[in-house]
Amino acid sequence: MRKIIELKGVSKAYDGQVVLDHINLDIYDNEFVTLLGPSGCGKTTTLRIIAGFEQPDEGQVFFMGEDIAALPPHKRNVNTVFQRYALFPHLNVYENIAFPLRVKKAHGDEIDTKVREMLRLVGLQGFEKRSVTSLSGGQQQRVAIARALVSQPKVLLLDEPLSALDAKLRKDMQAELHKIQRASGITFIFVTHDQEEALSMSDTVVVMSEGLIQQIGTPTDIYNEPQNAFVADFIGESNILNGIMLEDRKVKFHGHVFECVDSGFEKNEPVDVVVRPEDVDIVPEEKGMLRGVVTSVTFLGVHYEIIVDVQGFKWMIQTTDFCAVDSHIGLFIEPDAIQIMHKSKYSGMFGDYSSFSNEFDELSDAAAEVEEE
Amino acid sequence: MKTSSKIFTALILIFLFAPIVILLVFSFNASKSLSVMSGGSLYWYRELFRDAETLGAVRNTLVLAISAALISTVMGTAAAVGIHRLRSKAVRLGYEQVTNIPMTNPDIITGISLMLMFVFVGRLFGASTSLNFWTMLIAHITFCLPYVILQVLPKLQQMDNSLSEAAMDLGCTPMQAFFRVEIPEIMPGVVTGLIMAFTLSLDDFVISYFTSGNGFETLPIRIYNMTKKTVTPKMYALSTIIFFTILALLIMSNLIDTSAPGVEKPLRRERTASQKKRLRVAGAIGGVLAAGMIAVMIIGAPDHPVLNVYNWGEYISDGSEDSFNTIRGFEQWYKENYGSEVEVNYTTFASNEDMYSKISSGAVSYDVIIPSDYMIARMREEGMLLPLNFDNIPNYENIGENFRGLYYDPDDEYTVPYTYSFVGVIWDAERVDEEDTGDWDLMWNEKYKGDILQFNNSRDAFATAQYKLGLDVNDTDPESWRRALEELKRQQPLVKSYVMDEIYNMMESGEAAVASYYAGDYFTMLDAEADNVDLRFYVPERTNYFIDAMCIPSCCQQKELAEAFINYMLEEEPAIANAEYICYGCPNRVVYESEEYAEDMGEEAMEILYPNLDVFAENFNRFAYRNLDAATLSLVNSLWEELKIN
Repeated sequence: MRKIIELKGVSKAYDGQVVLDHINLDIYDNEFVTLLGPSGCGKTTTLRIIAGFEQPDEGQVFFMGEDIAALPPHKRNVNTVFQRYALFPHLNVYENIAFPLRVKKAHGDEIDTKVREMLRLVGLQGFEKRSVTSLSGGQQQRVAIARALVSQPKVLLLDEPLSALDAKLRKDMQAELHKIQRASGITFIFVTHDQEEALSMSDTVVVMSEGLIQQIGTPTDIYNEPQNAFVADFIGESNILNGIMLEDRKVKFHGHVFECVDSGFEKNEPVDVVVRPEDVDIVPEEKGMLRGVVTSVTFLGVHYEIIVDVQGFKWMIQTTDFCAVDSHIGLFIEPDAIQIMHKSKYSGMFGDYSSFSNEFDELSDAAAEVEEE
Repeated sequence: MKTSSKIFTALILIFLFAPIVILLVFSFNASKSLSVMSGGSLYWYRELFRDAETLGAVRNTLVLAISAALISTVMGTAAAVGIHRLRSKAVRLGYEQVTNIPMTNPDIITGISLMLMFVFVGRLFGASTSLNFWTMLIAHITFCLPYVILQVLPKLQQMDNSLSEAAMDLGCTPMQAFFRVEIPEIMPGVVTGLIMAFTLSLDDFVISYFTSGNGFETLPIRIYNMTKKTVTPKMYALSTIIFFTILALLIMSNLIDTSAPGVEKPLRRERTASQKKRLRVAGAIGGVLAAGMIAVMIIGAPDHPVLNVYNWGEYISDGSEDSFNTIRGFEQWYKENYGSEVEVNYTTFASNEDMYSKISSGAVSYDVIIPSDYMIARMREEGMLLPLNFDNIPNYENIGENFRGLYYDPDDEYTVPYTYSFVGVIWDAERVDEEDTGDWDLMWNEKYKGDILQFNNSRDAFATAQYKLGLDVNDTDPESWRRALEELKRQQPLVKSYVMDEIYNMMESGEAAVASYYAGDYFTMLDAEADNVDLRFYVPERTNYFIDAMCIPSCCQQKELAEAFINYMLEEEPAIANAEYICYGCPNRVVYESEEYAEDMGEEAMEILYPNLDVFAENFNRFAYRNLDAATLSLVNSLWEELKIN
């Protein structure tokens, strides 16, 4: 695969506040890359640096091997779909899509062919004469994508394009975007704070936090083998415990030695141990590797989410078996369900569900979205 | 409830539009009168389009308004964009506030400060005249700018900032992004700003008044200066035209606003596009017109000498109502006699005091001025007049002996009299017995209680009482003024009202029967009197005489030319035309001894305007107003207030 964009040691600060801290990132041809992270992690800034709206304070940006740091946005073969679409209200659907071609003074027939092709691609045939302000959010979204794709850029940048849509429409558009990316063969760089969106659409996910890249990998890599507590927590639910790596494939936590599949750690190295809630099996108390008391049970349709107190640490477990509150149960964990991570600055910050509540989680999500705006 | 709200709405509409309707109706009146509607006619519209000076003022006003509006729109839009892009919020708010201040500033302060600045800068560069078209243009741009910014800035703030980023992202340079995306977005604000600037500039009086210079007269200033005589109905015609022009602009700007993005329905899309095209064409035409007009003003600047004449409004025969055009006449006459081109730049003033302050500001230069007697005395004492070289004014011999050696210029060094007049009593013979007439007692006659009009200005009102009592109108003894006040108080119950310009209407319609006013103006009333009114005029033995005379101020740049002009004004043709047009007495023998003139004026007018001229100089020197000292002036003012408060 051809490397299409390369960021080398890129840093950016606003008023002394570091937003990007020496980022290195390679993006390949025909890839669907997602920049994922909470608000303020630097993902949008990264996108704007690639688009050319921001200049990095330090570092270099290469586009197909060429340093483009000094190139203004209109000279870059990269187009953007903006969070709120940024359609031109004084132009109709057709003219919005034709805009980049008209700027380039393309021939009338060529414009017509390309615009109609784009309208077909995004499923908006018959909307040519409509005013963009009369369209629904999803339709505006499609116009924005068509407008960004019509001049056949090498890379399409999408800045949280689905965040203004309702949940149902968002799901449809996710599939649609994926389809369009496959059909057009253009590299998509997609920014979102929604981990589900990232996992379902991407070839590569770049998890960012505090101006740093935490992990780059395929969605399965990121989910199954998080490299630190932040990633483990941000992607899905995780129980993260302090452990000690006794030797290769042997880890001790909760005073119990478990078998695992990880190796390459130093002897007796303190580590973070990640166990996904769905990977814990519930067994009778006497058969369990660990024993605990159920403190809360929530029915979520597909499964129950229960919180189990094991020696003062609250585990989250997803199970299809019902357990009553206050019942004593045993936990069983397969070796390949255990993921071992080196200690990081995020150790101890996440992964204990002692203060967990669904309500609280939703509140903090909403707060994050507000901040993003 | 419903009917009452309907009635209320109707009342509001009447309140708002009644004046306009009356203006409109009277602009089609065949006669001069405001009280008598004598059939519909386009007479005043025809007159308007024949009045070269007024049309010149209209042209000036339009050139100024279009240029000021276009320039301030471009500058204001650029400024708004600049302010909008400032990164620091505090600095941005600061700029917005600072640009708003001029709007809350009273016009008078803006006008005075601009004038001061222009005069100061002009002096710095040693210019003899620092006020001209360009200073006025700068002044108009100055007061229009904040309004444009105020219209454009909110549109920028409403605009999604990512629009211009999107445009650049799609291949536009920052410039292209601005013109292709931002300008269309803020266009409604820009157009509203343009129209606002245009209308503001069009009707501005105060600021224009302070910053206007030689020969560049806008319409509001010209109309204001017409107060020496009454405003002619052609101004009603002009005002009607202006009203409908502005109305059309307003409707246009509303159409633009409702077709703004986000408001229109999808179906109207196509029409808006063509509307936009039309708008663009209109804008282009406007721009070309303004540029052309400015170019004409620059290129058309004459290479031959220009004579700046400063006179009362409506105080020269200017070709209107089929009269002889004295100004063009002079230009022709000069060419025939001296063989070279000359251009007269004719500007008007509304009062002696206005003229005095304009000239003493030092920002203008005029070659010929025509002030009144007392003002001439003052200017002569202050060294503001140049002695005339009478070798260049051979026609001075036409001036009657009785009009020489008057108090304001005892040795006839500085002035050539232009017109004279006096105050008399106008009475309606249908209602007033002839035996009661003849002296000032008629104004105090109980028989005509509620039919008497008195001057609404202190000096003239006091003078009627002083002449009646045989007092000196220039007395500095307070006791003498108090006696006059007592006489006025005695008259007060009989007086219908204290009036100036309203007198025309009230006398013409027969609303009042007795009034004292200026002789020349009596003829104007006579022309418009209603069928059941028979106005007559007599001059009491003791009354106010006044003279306006041509002089050359010390700021004059073309003295010989000025003297040639004065000489020409004494020639038979222009002098007779002028005397017939102004309807005042003329001190020129060639005029008052002319049979043709006497025939044109009619017997009655000749008798009134040219009574026993042998005693004119004596009467004038005895009874005419002179400058009062400051103490007496303030006494008169306070006594006048005492009377008016009653």
